[in-house]
Amino acid sequence: MACVYIHIPFCRKICSYCDFTKVLYNKDLVMPYLDKLSSEIEDSYEKEEVKTLYIGGGTPSCLSIEELGRLKQIVKSFSLAKDYEFTFECNIEDIDGDLLYELKDMGVNRLSIGIESFDKCKLEFMNRNASFPDIKGKIELVRSYGFNNINLDLMYGIPGEKISNLKKDLNLLLKLNPEHISTYSLIIEEHTMCKIRNDENILPEEELKMYNHIVSKLEKKGYIHYEISNFAKPGYESKHNLTYWNNEEYYGFGLGATGYIKGFRYSNTKSIDEYLLGNFKDEENLVSKTEMMENEVMLGLRKMEGIDLQKFFDKYEVNLQDVFPVKPLVRNKELVYKNGHIFINPKYIYVMNEILLKLI
Amino acid sequence: MEQKNIRNFSIIAHIDHGKSTLADRILEITGALDKREMKDQILDNMDIERERGITIKLNAVELKYRYKGEEYILHLIDTPGHVDFSYEVSRSLAACESAVLVVDAAQGIEAQTLANLYLALDNDLTIIPVINKIDLPNADIPKVKRELIDVLGFKDDEIVLCSGKTGEGVTDLIEAIIERTPAPKINNEAPTRALIFDSYYDAYRGVVVSVKVVDGSIKVKDRIKFLATNEEFEVVEVGVNTPKIALRDELVSGEVGWISAAIKDIEGVKVGDTITVTRNEAFTQLDGYKPMKPMVYSGLFPIEPNKYESLKEALEKLKLNDASLSIEPETSDALGFGFRCGFLGLLHMDVIEERIRREFGIDIIATSPSVIYHVNLTNGDKIEVDSPNKMPDRASIKSIEEPYIRTNILVPTNFIGPIMTLCQDKRGIFDNTEYIDQTRVNIHYFLPLSEIVYDFFDKLKSSTKGYASFDYELSGYKESNLVKMDILLNGEVVDALSVIVHKDYAYQRGRTIVENLKEIIPKQLFQVPIQASIGSKVIARETISALKKNVLAKCYGGDISRKRKLLEKQKEGKKRMKTIGKVELPSEAFLSILKTDK
Repeated sequence: MACVYIHIPFCRKICSYCDFTKVLYNKDLVMPYLDKLSSEIEDSYEKEEVKTLYIGGGTPSCLSIEELGRLKQIVKSFSLAKDYEFTFECNIEDIDGDLLYELKDMGVNRLSIGIESFDKCKLEFMNRNASFPDIKGKIELVRSYGFNNINLDLMYGIPGEKISNLKKDLNLLLKLNPEHISTYSLIIEEHTMCKIRNDENILPEEELKMYNHIVSKLEKKGYIHYEISNFAKPGYESKHNLTYWNNEEYYGFGLGATGYIKGFRYSNTKSIDEYLLGNFKDEENLVSKTEMMENEVMLGLRKMEGIDLQKFFDKYEVNLQDVFPVKPLVRNKELVYKNGHIFINPKYIYVMNEILLKLI
Repeated sequence: MEQKNIRNFSIIAHIDHGKSTLADRILEITGALDKREMKDQILDNMDIERERGITIKLNAVELKYRYKGEEYILHLIDTPGHVDFSYEVSRSLAACESAVLVVDAAQGIEAQTLANLYLALDNDLTIIPVINKIDLPNADIPKVKRELIDVLGFKDDEIVLCSGKTGEGVTDLIEAIIERTPAPKINNEAPTRALIFDSYYDAYRGVVVSVKVVDGSIKVKDRIKFLATNEEFEVVEVGVNTPKIALRDELVSGEVGWISAAIKDIEGVKVGDTITVTRNEAFTQLDGYKPMKPMVYSGLFPIEPNKYESLKEALEKLKLNDASLSIEPETSDALGFGFRCGFLGLLHMDVIEERIRREFGIDIIATSPSVIYHVNLTNGDKIEVDSPNKMPDRASIKSIEEPYIRTNILVPTNFIGPIMTLCQDKRGIFDNTEYIDQTRVNIHYFLPLSEIVYDFFDKLKSSTKGYASFDYELSGYKESNLVKMDILLNGEVVDALSVIVHKDYAYQRGRTIVENLKEIIPKQLFQVPIQASIGSKVIARETISALKKNVLAKCYGGDISRKRKLLEKQKEGKKRMKTIGKVELPSEAFLSILKTDK
């Protein structure tokens, strides 16, 4: 069983906060890129059954129909499991009947759409564009093509944003009735437009208020808060992303992609020139058992249900509490032990790094 | 060699007035070292000495110089020059017949110039006044000459002008030393008495004792006896430093050199004590011996508890060479196992702490320094207390006395106002002022020693734009209205943060401490109240609000390694934290106690 991530780095427009590997869309580069992608996959994919497939970016939806056709060919090389999950990231503006037809044909059964906000000021800050009526129309179109597992992204903590702006955004988002919602506060990363123009985060107090509002509102609306930043209607948790948080292995293909295969974590080159020359891998490291267990903790505690102690034991043949100083933290109520799971006290989820630092 | 041609002298100066450079030049001119062997400031052995431009450990060097057809032996005895070591300075001066008083041609007389001069005069030394650094573009020779003449009473034609840097006038100085330094008094036949003015530990030879033989002689294989301790040893080697080690058969009356006698424990070798030999035994000590007593105490604790043994070893090694350092184990509820260490003064403390960090690589937390309080109990007993945590219950205390110092603060007259304000703030009692000339004044205050333990030096510097020079001598104990103030974090007393304060200043100090701690302690998972209290009465309170955010909001496949690095970086920052109760405290928190303002 394998999980696969494929990176399509092309974008028509660059969002101010984005630090993913990306290049501006250039017709001359896309086909050669897809050819290399295909050979990268051929080189290492061992024909395992694929449980989850995720095509992200960049903006995969900005490809032309012809280019999508080439991508479809590549995807065909994977043998998909029966109950596979196949997510495709879309920019809302790119959505039209032709695109949806291609995606359906490709086998996509989950769409992840970056909405981020409906607020003009917030969108302007992000260097994005969209309006609620347009978006609503597009989502209806998506549904009419039979896509019934949709994730929508929402960002908060944009400079100048008040809790009232967020509440409005969240209400509009809920009107679209997505199966899955990912919410992120703005992170000002190196080498982004935000960093260059010296944007500053809003106060942590404000941000925490927004986060708490999101959690309580979405839970009230029947969403399960299953990871720090992710919410889903029952049964619609992202299987692919859970691979990461369960510290399971996955293939990463494409520019700047990372993977975790046979105990090695690797990352691909971020240089499109290198990639087109066929020099895919940039770095590759064998993960030690200690590191593996630390990753298990760092990632596992992101899930609200935390770490399954029996599963941890089955995987590492050692008890979690014998390797990490869990007990004093449980005593302090920073961690909670319940039903064979250890998880972060929800009260401390927004400061969970502090707890991780005591553990690993 | 004729004993009448021996000249024992030392060089005394205020810090940075060029003493070490001048000594180097004398070594070079007398041919003790050739140019190739010269390392700058050869007498300052330790890195820290070189960095700070101060001399901590003493050294004696034997030099030869031909003058007017005769050969002279010069013993240059270096002095530490800092107030912390004034007893050691006074003993090394006692080994000399003259002192070269070095004054910077641009700075003029400073506080340590005076303090050292007085020590030299106490020992009846001939003083040779020298104006150094005459090559400086801002040298003001006439003005400095006037100071030496008017303030210190020298004659114009006594003053030697020179530059240690260029070498100009240094030959004149050497000749002045030969001309003016009296030959040591020679008593070859009298029972042997030698003055100990320094010692150091050598891994192969044990304790090497620097001595001046006053009466009689000391030979290899002599049985020597320390009069203060009555311990006996057999001399293995005697010698001098030229500055290379040169072995001799004996040291005779008037000579300065060293002896080794397979002595393992430096504590038995006390500076100021007298050595005699059993074949020609003396029974009375030379004048001026005092056992050395630490003035300031501080607790030293390893940040990582598993470094306790390493810290112990480090302190023991340092102590091998430093009889004035006292160590005893201390346990703190907050900081765990460590040591209560006694120091001669603040510089001594600083240097030891720095050497532990630097030479032994151990991260330590030093608790707020304490002086020694004399506590009179209601039952009539008197006890000495060197730590706030050893202070008895308030009900059993009748009165507390604390050590006072008398200051020499030399400043331009326009800073008299700020100095007086500063000293009043530090509970000073004005004594008097002496005018050096129309522009400079020496201000004498009586100050509690505990007040200069805090930020007095920094304040002095900032309130006088760095123009003040400062020195002090102990003046005795005085009763004060003192109380112990505790600091509570999250409702629990942190013993390592307790301080003794004057009652009238307690509120203000308490305020400052809690405010500073609020700045320094990072936010925690929960809200942390910080309180200052006397007994059960809270006199100041601040609250650190709970941490709101420290989360990797987003973490997918591509982020894992990167986020791990971010956590590792945060982890690195936490390493310097000490967890006390549930609160994580950075080591700076313990130092912030020292600051008396924000």
